[in-house]
Amino acid sequence: MYLPDFDYQSPGSLKEACQILAAFGSRARVLAGGTDLMIKMKHGLLAPDVLVSLKNISQLAGIGYVQGRGVVIGARATHNDLVNSPVLQKKYLSVCEAAHHMANNQIRNVGTVGGNIVNAVPSADLPPILIALNAAVKLVGADGERELPLESFFTGPNRSVIGTDEILSEIVIPDQTSTGSTYMKFGLRRSGALAVVGVAVAVTVAGGVLKEAKIALGAVSPTPMRAVKAEELIRGRAVTDELLEEAGVCAAGECSPISDIRGSKEYRQDMVRVFTRRALRRAINEGHV
Amino acid sequence: MEALTDQDGIKRYLVNINVNGDPYTVIVKANTLLVNLLRDQLDLTGTKKGCELGDCGSCTVLLDGKPVNSCTVLAVEADGRGITTIEGVARSEKLDKIQESFVNNAAVQCGYCTPGMILSAKALLARNPKPTEQEVREAISGNLCRCTGYVNIVKAVLEATGD
Amino acid sequence: MNENYSVIGKSVPKMDGRVKVTGQAKYTGDLKFPNMLVGKILTSPHAHARIISIDTSKAEKLPGVKAVITHRDVPSLKYGISPARWDENIFCIDKVRFVGDKVAAVAALDEETVYRALKLIRVEYEVLPAVFDPVEAIREGAPRIHDEYPMNINTEIHQNFGDVEKAFAEAHHVRTDLFMGQRTYQCPIEPHSAISIWEGGKLTVYSSTQSPHYHQYYIAREFGLKMGDVRVIKTFVGGGFGGKLEPTGLEFAGAALSRITGRPVKMFYDRHEMFAHNRGRHRQIMEVTTGVDKNGKILGLHANFIMDGGAYTSLGIASAYYAGAMLTLTYDFENYKFDMIRAYTNLPACGAQRGHGAPQPRYALEAHLDMVARDLGIDPLELRLRNARQPNTITPNEFKVNSCELTACIEKARELSGWKQKKGNLPSGRGIGLAVGSFVSGAGYPIYRTNLPQAAAIIKVHEDGSAATLYTGATDIGQGSDTVLCQMAAEAMGYFYENMKIVSADTETTPHDFGAYASRQTLMSGSAVKQAGEEVKQQLLEMAGEMMELPPGELDCREGIVFSKYSPEATRTFAEVAREFFVQKGPLVGRGSYTPPKLGGKFKGAPVGTSPAYSFAAQISEVEIDGETGQIDVKEVWDVHDCGMVINPALLRGQVHGALFMGMGESVWEEVVFDKNGRILNGNLGEYRMPTAVDMPKITSELVESYEPAAPWGVKEVGEGATIPTMGCFSNAIYDAMGVRVYSLPLSYEKVWRALKEKKEMESGLKSAAGRIYDKC
Repeated sequence: MYLPDFDYQSPGSLKEACQILAAFGSRARVLAGGTDLMIKMKHGLLAPDVLVSLKNISQLAGIGYVQGRGVVIGARATHNDLVNSPVLQKKYLSVCEAAHHMANNQIRNVGTVGGNIVNAVPSADLPPILIALNAAVKLVGADGERELPLESFFTGPNRSVIGTDEILSEIVIPDQTSTGSTYMKFGLRRSGALAVVGVAVAVTVAGGVLKEAKIALGAVSPTPMRAVKAEELIRGRAVTDELLEEAGVCAAGECSPISDIRGSKEYRQDMVRVFTRRALRRAINEGHV
Repeated sequence: MEALTDQDGIKRYLVNINVNGDPYTVIVKANTLLVNLLRDQLDLTGTKKGCELGDCGSCTVLLDGKPVNSCTVLAVEADGRGITTIEGVARSEKLDKIQESFVNNAAVQCGYCTPGMILSAKALLARNPKPTEQEVREAISGNLCRCTGYVNIVKAVLEATGD
Repeated sequence: MNENYSVIGKSVPKMDGRVKVTGQAKYTGDLKFPNMLVGKILTSPHAHARIISIDTSKAEKLPGVKAVITHRDVPSLKYGISPARWDENIFCIDKVRFVGDKVAAVAALDEETVYRALKLIRVEYEVLPAVFDPVEAIREGAPRIHDEYPMNINTEIHQNFGDVEKAFAEAHHVRTDLFMGQRTYQCPIEPHSAISIWEGGKLTVYSSTQSPHYHQYYIAREFGLKMGDVRVIKTFVGGGFGGKLEPTGLEFAGAALSRITGRPVKMFYDRHEMFAHNRGRHRQIMEVTTGVDKNGKILGLHANFIMDGGAYTSLGIASAYYAGAMLTLTYDFENYKFDMIRAYTNLPACGAQRGHGAPQPRYALEAHLDMVARDLGIDPLELRLRNARQPNTITPNEFKVNSCELTACIEKARELSGWKQKKGNLPSGRGIGLAVGSFVSGAGYPIYRTNLPQAAAIIKVHEDGSAATLYTGATDIGQGSDTVLCQMAAEAMGYFYENMKIVSADTETTPHDFGAYASRQTLMSGSAVKQAGEEVKQQLLEMAGEMMELPPGELDCREGIVFSKYSPEATRTFAEVAREFFVQKGPLVGRGSYTPPKLGGKFKGAPVGTSPAYSFAAQISEVEIDGETGQIDVKEVWDVHDCGMVINPALLRGQVHGALFMGMGESVWEEVVFDKNGRILNGNLGEYRMPTAVDMPKITSELVESYEPAAPWGVKEVGEGATIPTMGCFSNAIYDAMGVRVYSLPLSYEKVWRALKEKKEMESGLKSAAGRIYDKC
């Protein structure tokens, strides 16, 4: 296999990078880890004229807590950076765990959180848990920057609201009232498998009552999605096994999976039921795991 | 990064990398993958190609100490970085402990996955000298082996731990 | 059992271990030759189409391209590996028959240019109706794939031994089950590769091959060369598992490109192309009927199968016969009927994968027998014990079984796994299952008709006796035959393993051997090596007799010391005697060859499945099923093998682990999937899911005492046998855990989920609760 020819640029600042992107428009692509991009290019699905590498833009690296904003994750942080981040381990182990169950170690060492989001693959593992935790993304363009909820970022498979001159620079997980969160991935192999379904939840429990719940599903619709009806169904109600099962059934009814080589629509729907219930139970009982 | 453009307009980049402790300056096209740089230009054919899509781990090398699939990393992206290939694991006639353990535990059959396997194991033991069996399995789960069922590989890595 | 031997029976480290852990081992794709070009084959995007025209002009003009060839530039002689059906051309002439069929090839300066050139070849096709299912393919009116084969029937088998109808009529219970297999692929981690160098009328091919001999034979035949002018050299091979036994097309295209360009040409498949070329396991549709008496004794068996052969024959005739032939080995019964049709379809050709045609039929039989045992209320393990084949018996299809410790295997597996305590007593969701299997230790007859011996060997002792080199055509593809054969040579010579060198699998320097397939080398190549070693020893002892002034018959040699059997103080070293031999008589050389005795019956297809010896195995697996998702968590697997005397226990266990791993993958995860146009949907290692290190359970590999009289030192096969019982074993464990039977492979999570759901729905007779609530939301 081979990569088509392209021009390679490795600017030293975000501003410069955005200017290059603005100049080339859709003929340019951002290169972060490349674990997905290289494969798409080898398959001939993408043939950009220019790759703009983020490797020299140091402000995109790093994960830290910023008072008033929350946990700020640089877009170039690799999956293993997430897994090993002390801040995340302390506050949202669920994010570390979601990153840990992606792909395999070699890919986790190179693939980035920014890439995982911007590629907008419906089965991506990080978006559901980040959406459940209310995360926002910061997009920097040639003419300024904007921040928006991750939930409104995706518009379809491989599609999002990002402009051709924009770079996703940060992911921000705001301070939570939630008491627990988790991501459960159901894949057909324990390593190196895409999610057949992925279910993330964040719950706020007090006195045995679900004050608030967010349920985000992956791999069961064109974009990562919230199961809002299921959330509504359980909001404010006392936690029981029956309630959580009902939430699962409801979430299964809300999603719209396709049938493909990894699973039928029917199977995926039922797995949404099972894993929504299990994820809720885990987050309720164990906190952010 | 410095680049040269030839008469056909093809651009080539000057890449400085350190491989197995030795500094190299090489000239590559932007689309040159790290695996091809190592195999074709530096003759380090111990780094294998198995799937070219990041699925099998045969092309695993250590990039600044971390295992990566060299089939999905551009050579230009490795500029200024340090790479360890299987040829750099033993620094003399004497084998590294992991290599020796692979030989002694019959962990090698066809040997095609072996370089990548050893590098994944090497990186694991560097950050976690006393891994559990589960940690060993996880660390090599990006390296597919079709011969051994991983049984003796896991055994070999565990035996290479500690003193 | 090993006390009498100095070298065999010991887990010596592999000959090639060191070069493989340092990265020094060179595989075909690692080799470079001066002026070498890179070549690739253009394949068909259509499953069935007439070729209207091929325009290579644009590709030829691309800078760096040195040659573009099509069927016009190569011999049109049809080839294959089974002489009864040579049905392939180097490049398609009139039409293409599957997505991936070979159409043209390019040689260029580098890989990138080759890929670019392939895209510039314009082929105009007239797309024809295609057929992808073997049952549809043999229906009246189905598109015909080869003009010569009406109804798309590639192979049709009807064998009848004893009187099955009568046995069924007299049986206490007759049961029929229908099972479906799937298409799987060998997936060696090293992709196929070949370097062809055509120079001055001589062709040299470096190849990732399981059989230099067959490659040499077919390449010479195709190009009208003398065998002696074709040299095939095996390099290190990164796994084969059956897929590298026959020519891959790379050798032919590379040879033609090398002849035209006058330069060495390296050809290779990338991973997707490997899947497209395929030659993996056949998908079989298997109807099994058994009649038993009230005690579960098998009275008769009818196997009625159809297999999807894909577009060409490959090794499929043998696969088709093996599918039925091997079912008679494990159980003692007299009446057997086997019907099989191997159909052509517009999918990639299937061939021989570890266990050849046997694993899927074995899955069907073993799952079926568990159902029979359930019908009768007999413990399935007990049912096997009652029917298990005994030593020195003959199967209904006339295979002579000498050593056979199947009963001991089953009993030991029962003990190791705690079967008695577990069966029926495991918590819900957890289950235990058993299956057995058997395999040949080498095929009784070569693939094409010839009276050449199966194997030959030469041992040359170094002038000063400090080393000895074994020359063998046997083919080490990772399994360790170089090591095992050197152990055997050293044992036979009375020498040291550590001083052995080996030159293997090079048709010009090593004596003839058919290569690595049908688990033949330990027994067959080993026989030749043993004979060569004994010839060295005989000559050495005669020389020593002269030197020591003792009759040679009084002398022996062990671990490099020649000694008198009667006066232990009289000794000479192997080295000094060998040196003296060289000084006085010239090179000290031993030779050996092996031809099996005439085996098998006289009926059509009788040779397939014959072997000098058969291995036997019992496997037990314990699984835990997630009742809601169908996910299978394999807790542990036990394999107990009768593989005769063991030469290298560590390597032997490695074979069991690997075979079991492949069987496990095929049981639950692995399947090549196509779209409705015959294109592979998962031709990569991400979506073709072989198990990873975290998917593999604990494996216990144990042996039973056994000695095979027809083999050197009593050896038998092990490399393929452990793949055979695995799928049946998992099917039975899942059934034990959940009470549902999945009748098709792989036993995927979703299929188990579906079976559970259907069971539940049947039990409740209601639409599922989930279904009702979906409507509300």
